[in-house]
Amino acid sequence: MRRAARQRLEIGAMLAPSVLLLVLFVLLPLCIVAAYSFALRDSYGAVLPGFTLQNYADLFQSVYLLVFVNSLELAASTTILCLLIGYPVAYFIAFKAGRWAPALLLLLLIPFWINFLIRISAWVVLLGRGGLINQGMLWTGLIDAPVGMLGTYGATLVGMVYAFLPLTVFPIYAALQPIDRKLIEAGADLGAGPAETFFRVTLPLSLPGVLAAALFVFVPSMGVFAIPVLLGGGKDIILGNLIVQLFLEFRNIPLGAAVSMLLLALAGVGILLYMRALRWVERMQ
Amino acid sequence: MTTRTHPGWFTRTFVHGISGWVTLLTYLFMLLPIVVLVAFAFNAGKSTVVWTGFSFDWFVKVWHNRNIVKALHVSLIVAVGSAAIATAIGALAAVAITRREFPGRDLLGAALAAPLVLPEIVLSVALLVFMTFAGITLGYGSMIVGHVLVSIPFATLIIRAAAASLDVRLEDAAADLGANEWQTFRMVTLPQLMPAIATAFILSATLSFDNLVMSTFTSGVGTTTLPLRIYSMLKLGITPEINALGAMMVAANVAILLLVMGRYLPLMLKSNRR
Repeated sequence: MRRAARQRLEIGAMLAPSVLLLVLFVLLPLCIVAAYSFALRDSYGAVLPGFTLQNYADLFQSVYLLVFVNSLELAASTTILCLLIGYPVAYFIAFKAGRWAPALLLLLLIPFWINFLIRISAWVVLLGRGGLINQGMLWTGLIDAPVGMLGTYGATLVGMVYAFLPLTVFPIYAALQPIDRKLIEAGADLGAGPAETFFRVTLPLSLPGVLAAALFVFVPSMGVFAIPVLLGGGKDIILGNLIVQLFLEFRNIPLGAAVSMLLLALAGVGILLYMRALRWVERMQ
Repeated sequence: MTTRTHPGWFTRTFVHGISGWVTLLTYLFMLLPIVVLVAFAFNAGKSTVVWTGFSFDWFVKVWHNRNIVKALHVSLIVAVGSAAIATAIGALAAVAITRREFPGRDLLGAALAAPLVLPEIVLSVALLVFMTFAGITLGYGSMIVGHVLVSIPFATLIIRAAAASLDVRLEDAAADLGANEWQTFRMVTLPQLMPAIATAFILSATLSFDNLVMSTFTSGVGTTTLPLRIYSMLKLGITPEINALGAMMVAANVAILLLVMGRYLPLMLKSNRR
């Protein structure tokens, strides 16, 4: 009896720090943000107690709707591009690279692991008016005068794909790698062409990895703020930029809280959709 | 054109053929910018584009930039502090989750991984609001708490994986020999987990050192970290100084990655042989 009580005490001591951390610094702060999103604000930016739906109604103003549309568009483009590029790469590493596979994975981990801002700054240099890409195109005669690529939507998209591509390759590779090669051979033996084998065996088996990859890219990409500023020139701002502006520049905390809740809800929807789709894929197999 | 004679044309081109080309181009796309950045850090001239000769001048300039050195100092304090806390809390939770029975075990495991799927910017904003609400001045404390939140999912997952593969019989033997929970943990479990704990510490420290989002919202006056400093420098325009600083950070990041992966790479190579 005393031993059991003592054991409970010891387990409690082991768990107390993590539970305290999560409750005090995640759960409680999120509750405060949720409460603030319904609060009022005085003209100096201080939060006033009260209840209003005005902050959420304000999100339907055209300025904010535009940010929302921009975010969804950028997140969708980034996700689709990452999947279209990342799938063949993961396929190559899993099925074709043989003993080079670990080296290729490590080579992809390097850019992923290098400081995010340094990676983006590399692209600022490359895409600049005097940058290597412009110089290369001038030299080959592709263009007559330097093209302004920095500060465009395209530059933002390049930066986003650059930042998120490794995150798509890893989960797709993880789904492709364990596929039993005998299944693929069986498909071929049964007379299915390589295309049919791919679409009826390999692709369906790797769908969970594709879904995970989409989840890893779609939701976080809406919370990014540095890439649209540094590469896109701050023209096409997304939810991440809006949150930074509302909290740190305009000091409109209730509205910022409402935007944060929106992003949190989108993340929740993303996770639910992922789990739904995963169950659907598993049923199909 | 062999399109008609071979029904597998589509797959050969688009699945097999193209996967190789896409991979090659992707690796060039991923690695060339970094190579260019590092190369131009050694450029003598002020240009980040035109090569005018080899020099170490920009590296010297970086070390004489007081703002950068101060920011590096802040970043190191926050990285070491938050990694130590994240690893300690993560290790205790990981051992409890894998080795002990208690109600809500799965819930805690999921909650500790939650910061992975929640948008970091929302967690950061929430912490900022909480600190303001509680009347706590932003600074080292708020930033260290924030960085602990960012790295604890990784620290816990790494140590959990190691704890799950431990031999239970060793702990049972210790208990049979009269050791209490704490003695068993300290003298049997912990030493076996040391490699995983070291890995978790290094990864946590790197995540903290490179963090921008959490620091943007939780840093205070005089606690500007290196990424925050680089971000404001980049907003003003790129300079060779950033290239030199970048080259040093690339070297540090790659060295740490190889140090950590050095342990796992042989395992990966083995598992990949079929």
